[in-house]
Amino acid sequence: MADELLRSRSLSVGYGQHVVLHSIDIAIERGDFLGIMGPNGAGKTTLLKTLLGLLKPLAGRIDVASSVKPGAGLFGYVPQRESLDLHYPLTAVEVAIMGRYGRLGPLRRPRTLDRKIALDSLAQTRMEAFADTPYRNLSGGQKQRVLIARALASEPQILLLDEPTNGMDVNSERAIMELLTELQTTKQTTVVFVTHLLSTIERYARRVALITFDGRILVGEKQAMLKPDVLAGAYRARAAEDQPDVAGKL
Amino acid sequence: MIDLLTQPFLRNILVAGVLVAIGLSTWSGYVVLRRIVFTGAAVAEVASAAVALAVLFQLAPFPIALGLTVLTFLALSRVTDSKRLPPETMVGMLYAGGAAASVLLIAKAPRGEAEILNILFGNILTVPVSLLWLMAGVFGALLLLQYFAAKEFLISAYDPDMGRALGIRVGLWNMIFYGALGVAVAVAIRSVGALLTFAMLVAPGASALCLTNRLSRVGKLATLFGVAASLIGIAVSYQYDLPTGSTIVALLVAIFAVSFAMSAIRRAH
Repeated sequence: MADELLRSRSLSVGYGQHVVLHSIDIAIERGDFLGIMGPNGAGKTTLLKTLLGLLKPLAGRIDVASSVKPGAGLFGYVPQRESLDLHYPLTAVEVAIMGRYGRLGPLRRPRTLDRKIALDSLAQTRMEAFADTPYRNLSGGQKQRVLIARALASEPQILLLDEPTNGMDVNSERAIMELLTELQTTKQTTVVFVTHLLSTIERYARRVALITFDGRILVGEKQAMLKPDVLAGAYRARAAEDQPDVAGKL
Repeated sequence: MIDLLTQPFLRNILVAGVLVAIGLSTWSGYVVLRRIVFTGAAVAEVASAAVALAVLFQLAPFPIALGLTVLTFLALSRVTDSKRLPPETMVGMLYAGGAAASVLLIAKAPRGEAEILNILFGNILTVPVSLLWLMAGVFGALLLLQYFAAKEFLISAYDPDMGRALGIRVGLWNMIFYGALGVAVAVAIRSVGALLTFAMLVAPGASALCLTNRLSRVGKLATLFGVAASLIGIAVSYQYDLPTGSTIVALLVAIFAVSFAMSAIRRAH
């Protein structure tokens, strides 16, 4: 069996009494490159927030491998960049250094070492030249790199990204996904991302989790998961209206 | 200005002005960025109503105002967007309710109107030495809190999900933030009144945010603006026999107008 970092068992996720996804059995393995795909509103972000511990599971449980220290350092979270307020006058390195906050403890201020780690993380995402540039002045792709650097600065076991290429042009999307691929292959970073784009999954994911029309998740190797009959079973009638790129595959 | 420094009575005014400027302007960047400008205004009205209530029932005004101010800030920090009403609605209702309650309670209060207005709205010219010590202690402690909890206050407002994912207790730190802000507002209102308190809570931070791209500089610039407006305002009001609080507020607005114009010109080029 592969080196599992995390496994959900019969997990149900949602808000209040409303179950969005159910019966989720999904494992994240060390060095994984897992793409979670589903149409907009299918529950991808809800699942992600439950894995992060931001939402409580409605049923089932999430087991973390005993080799993994719980709390700070398990996940490096990269939110949708549109969720951040651009009124805040923060430079790229000030954003990246936030990744260190969980390791500092309450009322401790970042030290020189934390700034160095943040700068190293910016270097990993090729943003070191922009360290002192205001975050709000960066392009969409550059902002995403800074947010990935922030997640890396927390020295996580798993990099968890919410729609990392949403709203990007083709070149920026390719650059971001190639950066993630490089991190996975050269640093053995475990990457989990959610997307509604089949093309992104098709090109970059190694394993795929498909959110089905009835709120379940099918997980497997990419080649097996992207077969037309599997996609047809997962999406049924929704694909034609919600996922035209998936519909084209059926 | 030399006259001001040689007379103990006027020296107290200068000290009060500087303390309020430091005590509130350091929060003002947060207040603007967290979009709680009008929460500050509404809480100021609630504090005034609390003082009026205390006067009516002949209780100590300051503890009542302090308790209600902190509670109101904490309650407003828990108000979230409902499906029917946006959270500003609650702020607006508190503002109107607080203002109306103040007037109604004053109308039935047993003390003289001038005395009540002084208690209710504060007056920088009549701040006693005991209150100066209280301000120095409270604002000093809150400055230390801001310094050491800077990362918690920032992540809790800027990216709460990231904060929670990092193991930071965002809800707790938001409560501490609003509680501390409530204490600062209650002390300032008791000393200098609602208008100057509100202006100090917004204008210095707004001016600083127009001029810098570094969050670490916002607090320092805001403090500089707040202290400068206080000192110059007191001197100008003394020289030209103008109401002191309003003169300081006018200067704060002028500083903001210049900062905003400079920012707009810089963006245009």
